[in-house]
Amino acid sequence: MSSTGVIARKELLDLRRDRLFAVLIGFLAVATLISVGVAAASFRSQLDAYNLYVQQLTASGGTTVPAAPQLFPLQLLRGGVEYLEILGALFAIVLGYGTVAKEKYRGTLQLLLSRPVGRFAIPGGKIVGLAAVWLVVVAALTITTTVAIMVIGNAPLQAIDLVRILIAAVIAWVYLVFWSSLAIGITALSPRLSTGLIVAIVVWLAFVLIIPQIGDTMDPDNQVPGGLFATLHIQKSDELKVLANFAGFDGIRNGVEVSSITKHFERLSFAFLGIKDKYNQQPLGLVWADMWGYAITLTAATFAAVTFAVGVTTRRNLQRKIS
Amino acid sequence: MNTFVVSARHEMLSTRRARTAHLLLIVFIGMVIASSVIGWVTNQTVTGVYEKVVADGLTTAPNPFTGVTPLYYARNAVIYVLLIGSLMAIVLGVQATLRDRKAATTDLVLSRPVGSATRLLGQLAGLGVVLAAVIGISFSVSWVIISVINGAPLGWADTGRVIAFGLLSWVLLSTFTLLGMLTGLRSKRETTALLVPFVIWSAIAFVLPQIGTAARPVSLLNPVPAVSSTGGYFDVVAAITGPFSVTEQFKRASSIVLQDPAVTGDATSSVLILLAFLAVMTVVVAVTPRNRMRSGLNE
Amino acid sequence: MTNSAIATDALSKSYGSTLALDALSLEVATGEIFGLLGHNGAGKTTTVNLLTTLLAPSRGTAEVAGHSVTAAATEVRRAIGYLPENVQFYDTLTLMENLRFFAQLSGLHRPDQRIRDVLRILDFEGRDRQKLGTFSKGMRQRVGIAQAILHSPSVLFLDEPTSGLDPEGVRTLRETIVRLNTEFGMTIFMNTHLLSEVTKTCTSIAILRGGKLVHQDTLANTLADFPGEDSLEEIYFRLESEPVS
Repeated sequence: MSSTGVIARKELLDLRRDRLFAVLIGFLAVATLISVGVAAASFRSQLDAYNLYVQQLTASGGTTVPAAPQLFPLQLLRGGVEYLEILGALFAIVLGYGTVAKEKYRGTLQLLLSRPVGRFAIPGGKIVGLAAVWLVVVAALTITTTVAIMVIGNAPLQAIDLVRILIAAVIAWVYLVFWSSLAIGITALSPRLSTGLIVAIVVWLAFVLIIPQIGDTMDPDNQVPGGLFATLHIQKSDELKVLANFAGFDGIRNGVEVSSITKHFERLSFAFLGIKDKYNQQPLGLVWADMWGYAITLTAATFAAVTFAVGVTTRRNLQRKIS
Repeated sequence: MNTFVVSARHEMLSTRRARTAHLLLIVFIGMVIASSVIGWVTNQTVTGVYEKVVADGLTTAPNPFTGVTPLYYARNAVIYVLLIGSLMAIVLGVQATLRDRKAATTDLVLSRPVGSATRLLGQLAGLGVVLAAVIGISFSVSWVIISVINGAPLGWADTGRVIAFGLLSWVLLSTFTLLGMLTGLRSKRETTALLVPFVIWSAIAFVLPQIGTAARPVSLLNPVPAVSSTGGYFDVVAAITGPFSVTEQFKRASSIVLQDPAVTGDATSSVLILLAFLAVMTVVVAVTPRNRMRSGLNE
Repeated sequence: MTNSAIATDALSKSYGSTLALDALSLEVATGEIFGLLGHNGAGKTTTVNLLTTLLAPSRGTAEVAGHSVTAAATEVRRAIGYLPENVQFYDTLTLMENLRFFAQLSGLHRPDQRIRDVLRILDFEGRDRQKLGTFSKGMRQRVGIAQAILHSPSVLFLDEPTSGLDPEGVRTLRETIVRLNTEFGMTIFMNTHLLSEVTKTCTSIAILRGGKLVHQDTLANTLADFPGEDSLEEIYFRLESEPVS
């Protein structure tokens, strides 16, 4: 087996015995399951309210019954996707940091570096190892949430839904590999270990929480609870016409949002899962036609992060100062 | 000078020398200041949208922002206190208690006539001063920016509200500092010490409110507190999880203090909950045994 | 109250089911340089931790500078100086800032002049504005001594003070220890592995084995009591190999 393979296997073994890793993934799984459960409960409450309303309407002699709220099973995954977006990224950073940091503080780095391994074997092995770990985690989370939709959400899934979930899982895997690779690179570059972790967390804070939040709060429709246009009783078609007059502002707002890789992940996942209304129940070809740009940017960003990690995880950087 | 003050001053000096702390402080101050500008730009746009809608005859509804106070421009600061401020406070707290354990200086400290509670509370006081300074700087600049946008200095009443918001922020951040100090004292590894409070923070900021209100995680990043969902199950669960959702209580109290039109009611209960958490965390940290403070790290 | 600088009576410490120190009874007279010897895990550091009040005893009593380590721990802390093994400092702070912090914790209100005096004694003049992160191992060990003597303690505890030092560092430190004892009258209690250093500096010794005291006497008496052995090293290994009563 190549040195890269040996290091990758060691990472897998190391993480399998790591309690912190188990706790983090457990937390992510529980949070995701809770979000499916809560979304299902929320839908049932809506349905109960609707039934009550229809009952009262019928009793009072009304005849124009409004349409019943419709459950789109994949929309129950919205909270789960958002947890992966926020917490998944944080945990990916921690795992990426851990693979380099552990070698430093345990003192095993010197043993590793004294072996005849190639220039790319250490970063390559670590990235391959983590990519494999995320593959297993994403697969487990996908299976768990799919079962949760059917059991907790009591919603039947079609074959096409499973394909959509699978696509979302691949997107999530690419996103998580991005954050782990970035963290590997940052940690390798930091002479002090805690600095590496804190810098990586500041990057997470900026790109996962702050930038999308700025974009979100700049959205005119988000300024009033329930939506500005809904408060003003404005139809969707008129809303778009009005907003066309504020294209400059919206361009800046969108620019802020798309400067974060997290938004690319979110938009892709929401589109393929039909969470975004515009793409709900739309054929995959149509979604792809709109979203291929985001797919390319997410992949390119991950490729860049992997290149960065491999590029900076050098013997010289790793040995700068062991703290 | 008593050992409490010596510990507090030492903590301030150490924080001043820590580069990572600077990074976080700069991000925090920068974002709180930026939030005023973002608030203003967005408000200008929304006013433009409303005027356009009225001009096109699409609505007769009143402008939802009529009578909005100048403090509206500070509302995004609530979320930055919650996001950046809390994480900054956690990092400061973890570093404070972990510093002595990492460098094994605890024995040098505890072999002197210093009580463990005095030492820890002294450190907390030092960090409290640092937090107060950071909040003071960022909110003062924010006050100037809002006054410029408003075309006149904020009045006494509004200034008082900004100060009250600053105090609320200090209470919340001190609570998270204590959480960081606690994990800094209790963890066996530095990574765990930093990570566990982050996970607890995310559980408080996202999971608890979601269970009680069905609000999605990303929507919880908005400054307006999540509205209780739809009765039945949620009423019961929200009654249980509500008081523990410290970040939502902070959002609620801050929104009321800043007169956000989206939130109404009395802030007293939320303020009391925040103070209760601060008091409980202070006691939990202060009773840490000497042996725990001396314990080494596994890394 | 005793006239000894240190007196213990059946002092014991257990960690769970492990007995780290078993009924230690010893006395160190005021003004002595006392060496506590023993293999790794013999209980030397546990003894120092108990005497410096960093640990509470499981059983037995101990007095340091006339104060009980349990009933008057704060008084003990006022009276002692302590240099732990592998001493570390706040690397981002300067030498002066580090020492000022520890001096103030020891109760000195305006410590700067005293710090300058101590720095002069330890040949640190002109370095007070340097950050500790830039200091060598030997220098850090001397800073360790500096922080321990700032408040003029009557008893000084040194845990493996020569650990990791080069021969030059060992010699400088030895001279400092002797000077603190002769010029300033400090009683010195040190744990060490280096038997050659013990011969050169200590006036009395004790040997611990598996948490039990197997020997205590003055160095002169010890050497005289074993006429068949050539050196302290030979005596040490002989005592270590004898069955414990």
